[in-house]
Amino acid sequence: MTAADVQARPAPAVTPRLAPPLSLLRLLWIEVRRSPMPLILPLIAALFWFDSYRPSVGQPPLFILRTFWNMGQGGTIVDFGPLVAGMAAWIGSRDGRRGTTDLVTATAQPRLTSQLASWAAAAIWAVGGYLAFVGALFAVYAYQGVTGEPPWWWVAVGATAVAAFSSAGFAAGVFFPSRFTAPLTAFGGFLVMMLSSQTGFRDLSGWPQILPTNSNGNFQPDSGMLYPYLPDLPVARIMFLAGIGLAALFLLGLPAVAAGRRMRGVAVMMVAAGVAVSAAAVGLASTARLGPHGMVIAALHDAASDRPIRYTPVCGSAAGMPVCLNPAYRADLTTVTAALAPVVRELAGLPGAPHRAKEIGANYDTLDGETGQPMTISGTPPVLSVPLGAENLPGAFGAKDAVFSDQLRLLFLHAFVGAGNNAGTPAQQAVQAVLLQGAGLPIAAQPKLLTSVGLLWIPAEVTGGPTQGPPQATGPVYAAARRLAALPAAARQTWLVSHLAALRSGSLTLAQLP
Amino acid sequence: MTAAGIDHAPAAAPAAGRRAPAAGARLVWLFLASRRTPAAAWLLAGLGMLMWASLHWHWNIAGGAAARQVIPLTIEAGSAAVIAVSTYGPFGEPERATGRWLPWLRMAAALLLTGAAFGALCAGATAGVLPGGSLALLRNVGGMTGTGLLAAAVLGGAFGWAGPIAYLLVTEVSLSGHPTTPWVWPARPPHDLGGALCASAVFAAGVSAIMLLGARETGRDSPGPLSRWIS
Repeated sequence: MTAADVQARPAPAVTPRLAPPLSLLRLLWIEVRRSPMPLILPLIAALFWFDSYRPSVGQPPLFILRTFWNMGQGGTIVDFGPLVAGMAAWIGSRDGRRGTTDLVTATAQPRLTSQLASWAAAAIWAVGGYLAFVGALFAVYAYQGVTGEPPWWWVAVGATAVAAFSSAGFAAGVFFPSRFTAPLTAFGGFLVMMLSSQTGFRDLSGWPQILPTNSNGNFQPDSGMLYPYLPDLPVARIMFLAGIGLAALFLLGLPAVAAGRRMRGVAVMMVAAGVAVSAAAVGLASTARLGPHGMVIAALHDAASDRPIRYTPVCGSAAGMPVCLNPAYRADLTTVTAALAPVVRELAGLPGAPHRAKEIGANYDTLDGETGQPMTISGTPPVLSVPLGAENLPGAFGAKDAVFSDQLRLLFLHAFVGAGNNAGTPAQQAVQAVLLQGAGLPIAAQPKLLTSVGLLWIPAEVTGGPTQGPPQATGPVYAAARRLAALPAAARQTWLVSHLAALRSGSLTLAQLP
Repeated sequence: MTAAGIDHAPAAAPAAGRRAPAAGARLVWLFLASRRTPAAAWLLAGLGMLMWASLHWHWNIAGGAAARQVIPLTIEAGSAAVIAVSTYGPFGEPERATGRWLPWLRMAAALLLTGAAFGALCAGATAGVLPGGSLALLRNVGGMTGTGLLAAAVLGGAFGWAGPIAYLLVTEVSLSGHPTTPWVWPARPPHDLGGALCASAVFAAGVSAIMLLGARETGRDSPGPLSRWIS
């Protein structure tokens, strides 16, 4: 048999119109198979466990608290970004290191196309790894009974950040093909993240809100439980990171050898678009203002995001008073009812004492809820509204069970005497001190507790500075409180019944206390 | 012409002994050049300047004493990463087969660059107050360089940088948690013996691994890790 017998080559199964995309897909598939990016994933997995998962398990089982560091402060991005950038730089420098740039430039595909395929493969591995690890993290949390909604928007920010790190690293590798490019890119990536943290910790508003490690004022309870996570700031961050990634990637198309005139024109437009999108995102972030449920960017805000999440409460009893909480706080119900019970007993028979307590959503604040938020009593019959998410739950950031309980008692009584959002009048403070002592907290221990919830501020020149120990229960307020506390219980009860209205209106003076 | 008629080595040239120091110096220079050591030295000088800038303009993270260490530690890790990728050469097997001085050259290059890193960062630290001072700097640079050299021996010279960067990530989180283990030596006081011993042990292990084994050659630009299973 000779070749003369062989018939003409059969026509290809695909039409020519489909051939270019298929060849690109084949190129991408080859790059995916040969990419060294998976080599770094086991190391990242170990770091992810150590840095992102391990510290979080000490927090209460609420998604917003478990993910405060690894999502809110960008811990997962810090774990992934620098190492992905370093490896992407190594991949990007491949042709330059091996001296095959001219060879690759002369192939059928434009150089930019092959570079994009190489980057895409690296990014698929990196972003896929990120999503897989975060998925595993959330699955473990769910298995452990963590409640609330996962912060999906922040996961999207992290995935975009990983893609941006990979494109920036890849571009660095292409333009500076050296053995030092990968370590310097990884080092630079980590340094940028640390400087981002430094700026983010310091600045509470304005453009620094765009930084992916900045959690100031934008990652607090009760997001994902009583109201949704606001997508405004995550969307701006996604725009910012995607813009950086796009601009870095299409810088590759600017050199003359990268592609033909038309593709280079497209590359110029993509770089410009990337820069413009990032700049627009910074501008949007600088207009962000703190709303009750998170950072609001007017140009991106959707009113539907403000709707509260509907839920069926879980209820318990505090000395006969029903206490109903969001089911996400089910684990804290016993602690809350036990904390409120002594106050309920202390207030029994007094006018205005609440008949039940319900949880309300905590408002976002610039201090990340560090000083708590006041409870309120309203309605007929009176209902105690408890912004539980604003308090430091037992176990959250090292908070102790006993301190949490004392804070709840204090805030309950603070609402009962009508003191509002501030310390209250001297008479209200004195009556609050007496009732709090009746609920189990001695007057001498109260100033420290008041300080912990932001209801007592003592100038440093009075206390001698923060190192001089807690403030003392002295002065006219505590003197009046001790006088009132010294009365027989029945006499004190009678006095309270007759003077509570005046006390709540703020018209009662310290001198009018018995 | 063939070698058939040659049955003994030609007489050594009388000047051979005098040429030995020059040949040795040339060998050292060629070795250092093959590892891009001069470029590494320049980069270390640049990192020293970065240290100077960070202390001069107070780039430290907001927070306590531990937070103030993060930026200097990052720069120290960058130095270690540069040293780690200076461990491999382009010649591979021929170099190993013919270079009997190779282990000593590897060790000398690692020590030289570590010393250069320490010197450059010390010079940079004159701009302000470096947490822990020079003693902590020496311990940290030495220990993190050890992680880089070990990573180069295990993962490959091109990926030696992953060691210091990974150790930095571990340290960054551990610093805020007040660790007690001496293996997180940056969190220990400068005169702490345990931290110094651990850092020294890692450095010694790294130098020994590089000296005896050299940086691993991975051939990483050839088929990817999954090409065997994905067809």
